[in-house]
Amino acid sequence: MGGRTKGKGEARVIALPADFRLASTADVKASLADALGASAAELDGAAVERVDSAALQLLLVFRREAAARGLALAWSGVSVAMREAADVLGLSQVLELPASMPA
Amino acid sequence: MSKTGLAQFQQVFIEESLEGLDTMESSLLALDNGGDAELVHTIFRAAHSIKGGAATFGFPEMSSFTHEAESLLDEVRGGKRAIDGAIIELLLRTVDCLRAMFARAQAGEPLNDAVAEALRNELAAAMGRGAPVAGVQARREVDQADAWTVRFRPHAGMLAGGNEPLRLIRELAGLGELTVKTELDRLPATLAALEPTECHLGWTIELKGPARRADIAAVFDWVEDECDLAIEAKHIVAEVASPVATPATPAAPAANVADAGAVRAQREASAESSSVRVSIDKIDGLINLVGELVITQSMLDTFRGGEVDASRLAMLEHGLAQLARHTRELQESVMGIRMLPIASVFNRFPRMVRDISQKLGKQVKLDLVGEQTELDKTVLEKIGDPMVHLVRNAIDHGLETPEKRRAAGKQDTGTLTLAASHRGGSIVVEVSDDGAGLNRDAIVSKAVQRGLIASAEGMSDEAVAELIFQPGFSTAAVTTDLSGRGVGMDVVRRNVSDLGGTVTIRSTQGKGSVFTITLPLTLAIIDGLTAAVGEERYIVPLVSIVESVQLKADAVRSVAGGGELFRFRGEYLPVIRLHDAFGCDTAVQAIDEGLMVVVEGDGARMGLFVDGLIGQQQAVVKSLEANYRRVQGISGATILADGSVALIVDIAGLVRLQGRRKAA
Repeated sequence: MGGRTKGKGEARVIALPADFRLASTADVKASLADALGASAAELDGAAVERVDSAALQLLLVFRREAAARGLALAWSGVSVAMREAADVLGLSQVLELPASMPA
Repeated sequence: MSKTGLAQFQQVFIEESLEGLDTMESSLLALDNGGDAELVHTIFRAAHSIKGGAATFGFPEMSSFTHEAESLLDEVRGGKRAIDGAIIELLLRTVDCLRAMFARAQAGEPLNDAVAEALRNELAAAMGRGAPVAGVQARREVDQADAWTVRFRPHAGMLAGGNEPLRLIRELAGLGELTVKTELDRLPATLAALEPTECHLGWTIELKGPARRADIAAVFDWVEDECDLAIEAKHIVAEVASPVATPATPAAPAANVADAGAVRAQREASAESSSVRVSIDKIDGLINLVGELVITQSMLDTFRGGEVDASRLAMLEHGLAQLARHTRELQESVMGIRMLPIASVFNRFPRMVRDISQKLGKQVKLDLVGEQTELDKTVLEKIGDPMVHLVRNAIDHGLETPEKRRAAGKQDTGTLTLAASHRGGSIVVEVSDDGAGLNRDAIVSKAVQRGLIASAEGMSDEAVAELIFQPGFSTAAVTTDLSGRGVGMDVVRRNVSDLGGTVTIRSTQGKGSVFTITLPLTLAIIDGLTAAVGEERYIVPLVSIVESVQLKADAVRSVAGGGELFRFRGEYLPVIRLHDAFGCDTAVQAIDEGLMVVVEGDGARMGLFVDGLIGQQQAVVKSLEANYRRVQGISGATILADGSVALIVDIAGLVRLQGRRKAA
């Protein structure tokens, strides 16, 4: 259940897995590293049902490196579970989660 | 984790913790009697698991409370403090308090109450004893505040250990309003440099709300060694010396005894419908028997259809005999699943005896005999209360003070013995003491005063002793909070007879008393006589039957008000015609054609008029309530060999029914 990258060429869409926790971070990290080569990327967290701090930490590092490389980043979906976890951990702002978006 | 999932785990945690508390209690009592130091470790371990579990399962109040006790135990364990009577007393009350907290947790009530607060402060005070006063003061000041800053930096390996900051912070949110700031300074700049299973985040959390340091620390209890943690008070509560902080006066021991009892009762009540733990051995035995049964069945299967020729008849008989044997063994084994040692009931008494005897200034040695005797779980759960009454009575009324004992030429220390044993198909529980015995004169004068008897002339000691089972009967000169309120022995007898058992008393003045409770091993099977009434069959429990007699028609007299009486061994007994009571049409009406079965229940005798007795049999009790509805005077039903249903007569119920009719 690793994160899959869809789309070819420019805007890469990274769909985050439903169980986005410690065990899945290695897979997701691979697809995120892959996306760093593109010029734009979209994170899709609409399907995320379970998430932990390791997963959000991974996204933080990804965003940080993407910003350094000048990659255009956007969210295409954020599930309730993900938003809630980010709020608890005080990460909603740094992750730039959209104010409200249909999950 | 889903709500129900968590609730399930909480239930298991509570059950295990209650067992842990039992262990703590019995170990403390053993320590009190000069047990070895290994017991301290046992107690510490029990307290530690409760603390950790409480933090994990969302009971921070309980966790921080246990933490205080654990710290105290840690000092004892580390040899920094000698264990003495005061500490044992304090820890015993901690056990009671935790039991009460668990009861409240199960009822969904707030866990803390005034008793818990007071006790927590006592524990803290006990810890602080000997420390410089200023130090205690300083610690107190930051123990409670209405705003805190918590700096929490997990070590890199914490996530891999299964500890999730998300859960910890959520738990912290239960203590007050949080403002969470994430510290990203340790975060690597590139994905390549990130090991995703390591934690590089840190948090600074502002907590608003009145909380204790210990409550906050309890949240991070499991991860103590896996993170850097700093808890700082931002605003110190102005009123440090609030009422709860004053050295608490110990609650009256009597209240404690009562509390402990109440909590136990509550806990046992809730346990009544719950589960039973069965040893693997017993289950393996069952599986083995079912296997045998299947083999026998397949053997018998070869006889199906076709004629059985004479040469194989012996084999068929053999098979049927095997079937009968296996069925009986299986039945016994299945009953065995519900059998538990009486130790679980006995174990509550060392504590109770200690508390009561201390309160009354008596010296009591408690002997437990036959703790491994097994009996049905349902019986086990209901035998506790009657025994508590008997033990209280024995210490309060039976055993004398050391001075009186010396004067009577006995040892200062009285002996109270609880003994359980199997006798035939019954279990016998004896509560005996070597105290003063029943005071015949006091009982007689009280009974005369209450109008129960005119005079005791010609009454045997046994008959006099029977009087104490009358409702509201008490000879205690002073009503104490322990016993003597006259709600005791009649309740004991009622409870025991509800279980199909009897209570008898044997007492020698100056030597002591023995109360004997005889109970059926199980409630699932009873021995009974099958009685015919019209077309119907009724089972009369054998334990209730005194004898059966055939009467002449003129032996039964009608009395004003519609009742009937007959004379039996010098007393007049009321007659209940079962066909009237249960509405059977074609039954025998004439007294001299039927049979009078004299039965005893609830302390009263009466005659049951039936057509005749068919025979004795073991009846497997099926609940009427579960299959139909509750019927007055019927305790259940059973299925006879021919497949028809026979109702089991509830003698005590009939007696009560009769009493009500008389009163009406």
